[in-house]
Amino acid sequence: SVCDARMRTHLGLVMLCVMSAAGVCSSTSAPESPRQFDCRSREKETFSCWWEPGSDGGLPTEYRLFYEIEKGVRECPDYVSAGENSCFFDKRHTSFWAEYIMMVVATNALGNASAQFQIPDVMNYVKPDPPVNVTVVVNSSAPSPFLEIRWKSPPNVDVRTGWVTPKYELRVKQNDSKEWKVSTVDIGAQTFFNFHNVEHGLLYMVQVRCNLDYGKWSEWSNTIFAKIPKHHQLEKYFWIFVFVFSLIPLLTAMYILVLKRKVVKQCLLPPVPGPKIKGVDVHLLKSGQSEDVVNALTGNQNFPPMAAWTEQVEDFLLVSDSDEWLLTDTFASEEKKDIFIIPASLHLGLEIQCGDSTVDLNTWEKTDDSKEETKSNFLNTEPINLPIEKQECLSGEEVSIQPNTSYVDIQQRPTLTDYSRVKEVNGDTILILNEEEIPHGSDAVKVKREVSVPDDYSRVKEVNSDVVFLEKGDSADGCCKKKGDHYTDWTNQKPIMPHDSELSKGFCSKMIANGYVDSVPSFSVK
Amino acid sequence: IFFYPGTVKMHMAVYLVAMCRAVPVNDLLDRASQRSDKMHSLSTLLTQEMDSHFPPYGRMQMPRPADCHTSILQTPNDKEQALQVSESDLMSLARSLLRGWVDPLAVLSTNAITLPHPAKSSISSKIQELQEHSKSLADGLDILSGKMGPAAQTISFLPYTGGTDLGQDRVTILNKFNFLLSCLRRDSHKIDSFLKVLRCRAAKLQPELC
Repeated sequence: SVCDARMRTHLGLVMLCVMSAAGVCSSTSAPESPRQFDCRSREKETFSCWWEPGSDGGLPTEYRLFYEIEKGVRECPDYVSAGENSCFFDKRHTSFWAEYIMMVVATNALGNASAQFQIPDVMNYVKPDPPVNVTVVVNSSAPSPFLEIRWKSPPNVDVRTGWVTPKYELRVKQNDSKEWKVSTVDIGAQTFFNFHNVEHGLLYMVQVRCNLDYGKWSEWSNTIFAKIPKHHQLEKYFWIFVFVFSLIPLLTAMYILVLKRKVVKQCLLPPVPGPKIKGVDVHLLKSGQSEDVVNALTGNQNFPPMAAWTEQVEDFLLVSDSDEWLLTDTFASEEKKDIFIIPASLHLGLEIQCGDSTVDLNTWEKTDDSKEETKSNFLNTEPINLPIEKQECLSGEEVSIQPNTSYVDIQQRPTLTDYSRVKEVNGDTILILNEEEIPHGSDAVKVKREVSVPDDYSRVKEVNSDVVFLEKGDSADGCCKKKGDHYTDWTNQKPIMPHDSELSKGFCSKMIANGYVDSVPSFSVK
Repeated sequence: IFFYPGTVKMHMAVYLVAMCRAVPVNDLLDRASQRSDKMHSLSTLLTQEMDSHFPPYGRMQMPRPADCHTSILQTPNDKEQALQVSESDLMSLARSLLRGWVDPLAVLSTNAITLPHPAKSSISSKIQELQEHSKSLADGLDILSGKMGPAAQTISFLPYTGGTDLGQDRVTILNKFNFLLSCLRRDSHKIDSFLKVLRCRAAKLQPELC
């Protein structure tokens, strides 16, 4: 019937459906062939290859590698060392410059699949590991800083035999910059490099990589950071600044010193005044002859020769207290006749005329009351015999005394009247009167106990500037006290004068009147 | 004083050899390995330059290295083998390879000028430079081999039979050109490796070289 035919058709379809459903749930297949094959040698001694497996068909699939090199087919020696789906060829199984034909076979329960890969030269797959122990040191000693970069070859590369020649390359970048500066190390096995293109105060990143025999480059090494210090530069500029600025005033000061060197010399080294003697010419001293020197020192006076002295001493003025002496003075008449009185106003430094002296004497006489008797004698104005020239003065002519360089300093003594009591002189002008020397006939002598120059110069020992030294108890007493005569001849000499002692001794005998006399302002004369 | 020209020539030759002996072997080897290093660098650059503008070969069309005209020469293929070969043999191998590339380099140089390649001028200059280095290195190795054993004097003959014409169409020309350059790169690498092993072995007193 019709229902039975439809039931059979439906059963068939159901059966078909069930059967097909069972096939979908448990479908496996043979594996697909592996894809992508790649190899790598890290040290030019061994190499590894990897493949990418295809679909495994739902079933456990085994992969095997077979390679053929020159002669024979071999299987991969090591499936483990290089990881999954890999093959590792050790030294004994590695050949360079030889072609490898690789075949990878995937096998499962349902079938297998294979793929072939051709490796013409393993050398083309040499790619080393990156360099290790990369160090960067900042060197600041040079004018500009630089980085000292050092590294070491990868540990698995053997550089001792020459079989492998590594070459290196490095790159440096500022931390905030995007571009790398690459430098290739030209010398093959060199493992250091000085990178100079750096600036102060910046942070730099350094990386190194290598290759073997111009093969593939390794990966870049770990990044090493290096910072270049900044303050060094500023410090250097600071000190340059300070140096330059301190140099400017120094140069200015030196310039001024050079310009005003005379003024500076005046300030620092003031000229020391040289010694000056009145009337002495320094240049004369330097270059002059001894004569000139002596003349300069002695006031340009010519000392008379000794012989002249004796001649000249003949003329001098005798002054005494008593008339008796005058009359009976054989001594005087014998030798000397005149005693010179040197007027008080006589200054050798001045020009004095003989006539003037006469006038002075006259006036002098007038003022002295007690000495009228001796006027005539007193007025015996024989010219003062200065042992210098102008001997015409002896005859009463005028005497001019050479003024210029005075050897003797004549000064006025307003209070001197009686000098008979002088014993000794102390200091400059102090005289001590000597009681013993009071002459016999000195009743007319008015002893004025003054500190003054004595009238008895017979005992003059030495004259020192304004001081008259008397000798005690000299032999001059004898002659000088001769009838109470007083030979007033005095000298007031400068100590420089020679023949001091002789003068005092020979005074009485020869009545020497050396012209070096200091005027006594007043003296008692009879 | 010798008056005969023959004896003069002989004495001149002896004098020249004596002069060359004045340069130490280490220094000569150093110079030689520098030259071979430069050659290998150039050949590597050439292949890279070719590949930049030329698609890589398909698996079927890639020429095999066994097809290189120098593949008949048996050479060490790994480090251990290379370290076991004697110095004279290493020298002989290097010299043979060098001698075998004189003709092919000339062919390459001729065809580089008209190469249908955008970088042909650069390729051409590099090939010329290679030729110069090859000649200079060959001369230096001739002198060096004189200081070594008789095996160093033996040179294997490696003739090039490819002809001067690389092909008619662009693809054929480029393929053959590329194939020759790959063979050249392989052989320059061999020469460089052998000479550097030789240099290191001769400079055992100066470990810093190796």
